[in-house]
Amino acid sequence: MPTANTEEENSKSELQKNHGGGGGFTRWAVVAVIFRLALIYFPGNLNLSSRPEVSTPLTSIRRLAEGYWLKQSSMSPYAGSMYHGSPLLLSVLGPLTVKSLVFVLADLISSILIRATGRKLQIAYRKSLKSLNLLNKSTDSGALSSGDIAALVYLWNPFTIVACVGLSTSPVENLFTILTLYGAATGLAPLAAFGWVMATHLSLYPAILIIPVILLLGYGPDAPPSKLFRSKEHGKVGDGKSSQEIIFSWRRVFHLLVWTSLWSVYVLVLCSISVKQHGSLQEMFQRTYGFILTVEDLSPNIGVLWYFFAEVFDFFRDFFLIVFHSNILFMILPLAIRLKHRPCFLAFVYIAISSMLKSYPSVGDSALYLGLLGLFLDELADMQFSFFLFCGYVGVSLLSPVMHNLWIWRGTGNANFYYATAMAYACFQIVLVVESVSSMLNHDRKLTKLSTSKLQK
Amino acid sequence: MAEVEKKEVAAATPPWKPKPRPIVRLGIVLISHSLLVSVVCCTAGVVALFLLPMLAKNTYISENALMPGSASSMLSNDDISEAERLAKDLTSLNSGAADAGIERRRVLAKYLSDLGVEVGYHKFEPHQNQFHPLHFFSSPDSGLSRENGSCSSYGINVVGIIRAPQADGKEAIVLVTPFNFRKNSSSEALSISIGYAVFSLLSRVTWLAKDIIWLVADSQYGEYASVASWLRDYHIPVFSASSSHNADSCFEGNNINLLREESLDRTEISSGFRRAGTMAAALVLKVTDVKGQLEDTLSVYAEASNGQMPNLDLINVVNYLAVHRQGLRVKVEKFLSVLRWEWIWVLGDTLNFIGKVAGSLNPEWKFGISTPDYVEGTATLANSLYRQALGIPTGPHGAFRDFQVDAITLEISPKVVYTNQGRRNEFILRSARLIEGVVRSVNNLLEKFHQSFFLYLLTSPAKFVSVGVYMIGFALLVAPLPLVAASLYVDANKPDPSSQGPKHKLQINFKPWKWLSAAKQVFTVHAWGVFVSLLPYFISQIPNSTPAAHSIIWFSLSTFGLLVLYLITKSHSKPQKGEWENLKSVTISVVFIGLLLMSVVNFATAQIGALVLVPACLLAQPLKLDIRDASLKSFLRIACNVFISFVAFPPVGFFVLKGVNEGFGDMDVGEFWTWLESLWAWNSATYIYIGMVHLPCWVLCLHILLHSC
Repeated sequence: MPTANTEEENSKSELQKNHGGGGGFTRWAVVAVIFRLALIYFPGNLNLSSRPEVSTPLTSIRRLAEGYWLKQSSMSPYAGSMYHGSPLLLSVLGPLTVKSLVFVLADLISSILIRATGRKLQIAYRKSLKSLNLLNKSTDSGALSSGDIAALVYLWNPFTIVACVGLSTSPVENLFTILTLYGAATGLAPLAAFGWVMATHLSLYPAILIIPVILLLGYGPDAPPSKLFRSKEHGKVGDGKSSQEIIFSWRRVFHLLVWTSLWSVYVLVLCSISVKQHGSLQEMFQRTYGFILTVEDLSPNIGVLWYFFAEVFDFFRDFFLIVFHSNILFMILPLAIRLKHRPCFLAFVYIAISSMLKSYPSVGDSALYLGLLGLFLDELADMQFSFFLFCGYVGVSLLSPVMHNLWIWRGTGNANFYYATAMAYACFQIVLVVESVSSMLNHDRKLTKLSTSKLQK
Repeated sequence: MAEVEKKEVAAATPPWKPKPRPIVRLGIVLISHSLLVSVVCCTAGVVALFLLPMLAKNTYISENALMPGSASSMLSNDDISEAERLAKDLTSLNSGAADAGIERRRVLAKYLSDLGVEVGYHKFEPHQNQFHPLHFFSSPDSGLSRENGSCSSYGINVVGIIRAPQADGKEAIVLVTPFNFRKNSSSEALSISIGYAVFSLLSRVTWLAKDIIWLVADSQYGEYASVASWLRDYHIPVFSASSSHNADSCFEGNNINLLREESLDRTEISSGFRRAGTMAAALVLKVTDVKGQLEDTLSVYAEASNGQMPNLDLINVVNYLAVHRQGLRVKVEKFLSVLRWEWIWVLGDTLNFIGKVAGSLNPEWKFGISTPDYVEGTATLANSLYRQALGIPTGPHGAFRDFQVDAITLEISPKVVYTNQGRRNEFILRSARLIEGVVRSVNNLLEKFHQSFFLYLLTSPAKFVSVGVYMIGFALLVAPLPLVAASLYVDANKPDPSSQGPKHKLQINFKPWKWLSAAKQVFTVHAWGVFVSLLPYFISQIPNSTPAAHSIIWFSLSTFGLLVLYLITKSHSKPQKGEWENLKSVTISVVFIGLLLMSVVNFATAQIGALVLVPACLLAQPLKLDIRDASLKSFLRIACNVFISFVAFPPVGFFVLKGVNEGFGDMDVGEFWTWLESLWAWNSATYIYIGMVHLPCWVLCLHILLHSC
């Protein structure tokens, strides 16, 4: 009775997640791992690895197996337009017979890193509140830290579980993205650089995270707006120069850049060694980054691009490719200016936006930003529409397979049915991003108000 | 100084409140009047359901390529007499003899090979329907295992294939006649006659663009099983040598006769599995004896698994040819008990009267419908809804739908049992001409059926309600759910004026996340629902027990599970303000999502489920509050709540419905189990709906009713 058991476990975890303390994390992480293993070794075929929601052309394990087979038989792994991932992934994951354990491990490490990042962020948050004299008992009494919650949300999110059990490579990609954030939040420039280089190498979109990483290393973890501290300095006349002055640490950024170039060279050398016999680096770039940017594969997924590019006329294709990709780029600068004092949150927003607009999205990407969302629990406590969003996510993630079934297997629906759920999903993601950003800004406003009113007393 | 004061005032009250956007304002208005809106919407939804027979449109043939009836029939009396000779040969064989079945097959194969068509036997083991909890979202064949059953029972279908003379053989039309080779039945022989008459004609014609497959399905283990296993073997070739070897050894051991007989015919009859192209359409032909008919009638059965219907064009073609060319009376199944209900007739009269009044006001308004038409339409619609909601195919055609082939069953019943050969020949001629016409129409198709509707309800053979119309009623019925959920949510999370402490404090309250604890409860109950729906799989493995015992075990285990859950999750703290509102809000949202999902999977289930669940959820309110209130309104609500929650309990609902239809005479506890077993054996989504949406929501409604607020 495996399914019934696991459902029970799941429900129990949901129950106690909100009551457990710091020790609870270890327990629930172990249960999450066991739950994943139970699902992986479930006797019946869950067919998850062939679901379009789980595996995209970039993350599918079947394609990886095909690429590995091609490589074994002395051909270019990119021959035949099957595999579009990194050659390093092929060398690491290819020979393994129990690939699933790697993904479980990746999820576990990711959650531990998220937890550590959360700790760091919370300490920084406390410190800045203290320096603004805003810390009081009520904020201090939280039994469960936001890092724990974020890590557990990441581990127990059905999206993460499905991506892990469905053997897509997105847990590994997510791991490197989280590693980047962790390295940046703890001020470890080499680690951050390594994470960023690997994440960019694996899935290209984390490239935009370089801005939050620079800000994070330069300014330190998330804090209230800097002008708040400055006005406070002005208020306290004669207090002398305090340590609260925020300085952009160029040294660390310089370290980051050096390490980034080092790691990039290292990864490129490794790649060129690995593809040397059957191809070239140029082919690798064409088949990985080129494949991502030109949206060659139009098989349905939960994103919005496949349908559009299936419909668009061929001579407009290049134009619309530029339009769609610059969509992400357009948002980088304004968001960076507005949220520069909260680099971690900025990274979350970037990840959410790119996972919405990327060419081959899967639920694994959503799992990442939903997990990161938990990090900002204190700030986003008064977020609007949380219930609405929750219902929307649940509804869409159930409706999407049903529509797919109606279209592909029953033949009574058509592509529009499935695409409608993709659009609804995109809408919910937009609402989530907009609401979280606005409630974060509201939180800043509230802090400003409180601090000015304190000053006036 | 004044400036500082001003600033303080500004800090205390928001300086200016931006006017919300119109759509937000509309939402706020709707939410604040949710009671009125929900009453109006629900009433409108129910009224719309009863108006459906009136809103039904006449069917029309949407695909131009079909051109039904444009060619004159080529069927001659020679074909009929040849077919009758075959039927006579088949019936004259002694049915008592052990090898009568083999002999009949041989006769049939002989006749077919004389026509010059390819003939093949298809051996199969009747596949026991199994409960696959995960079957629904996967492909039709993934859950299938080809384990070798016992060799004792197997059936043999006879398959004849006409290759289209001038086509590439990529498409095919399938004719199916179920026939029990072991038994002598005059009506089945008649259906063989009709099939053979058509087939012999088709083997000669030059206009064929698609191959014709005639499957004489061995119906000794049920008509569905034989057709389904043939289709499975047709679409999913077996590549492993071992399984075919096993099957052969099976036959060697058990039936040497057959093998010998086969080796005799090896020259003409292929031993391998014969295939033609992809199937464009399939017709299942049956002849039944029904006493007391006024004329020859043709019953059309179309419902496949999970309420899927074949393309409406197929039914249209059959209906058009049967009515306008062959003069058969076409009918679809209807609930006869509905015809006896007085209030339906009164409703019909009223609608008729309204239609007449409207017609006298403005002759353009022609929505009147005569009372008998309305009642007939309602009875047919009710049956259509019921059959689709059950999710169990109504005949062998259901097997085709699993492979996306449009198929219907045509059940022809003659007025009397013909003894006169001339009258009998005329009956065969008419039926065969009907089949010929349909085959000829389908033969004209350039693509597979796609023009007409797949989602529709029939109110008569020539009238249908399309998805665009029946969805309105459903949408109206479920529209109050999100509104009421939102309004309850807003009420429950209103900032409490009493606990508004000093404002100058960084109060991090998780008020907007208060719904999480309610969501937790709802999730727990749904997990229990999953547990309950998986239980029968294990209970049914208990040997030597009756359905009644099964249902009692099931009931007690489920209740036990619920009790354990309750004891585990029971909170000892005092119930908080807004707790039940939050719970109700989450419950309603879940019901909304569940009904929406179900309306996509199987509309009829969602419609019937909504009729029960929507009022149950909307009315649910703690009895304690109502009793405390002690007004007429609250007593009415208590009465409604108690009644609905009694009826909404699935077993009670089942027995009440059964009682209404068949009288409350003999009730057996086991019947409910048998009914549910049939649902899960056929992989009906309705079973999943009952277990994972209906039952948990019913429990949650009870929980809200008994809430100690």
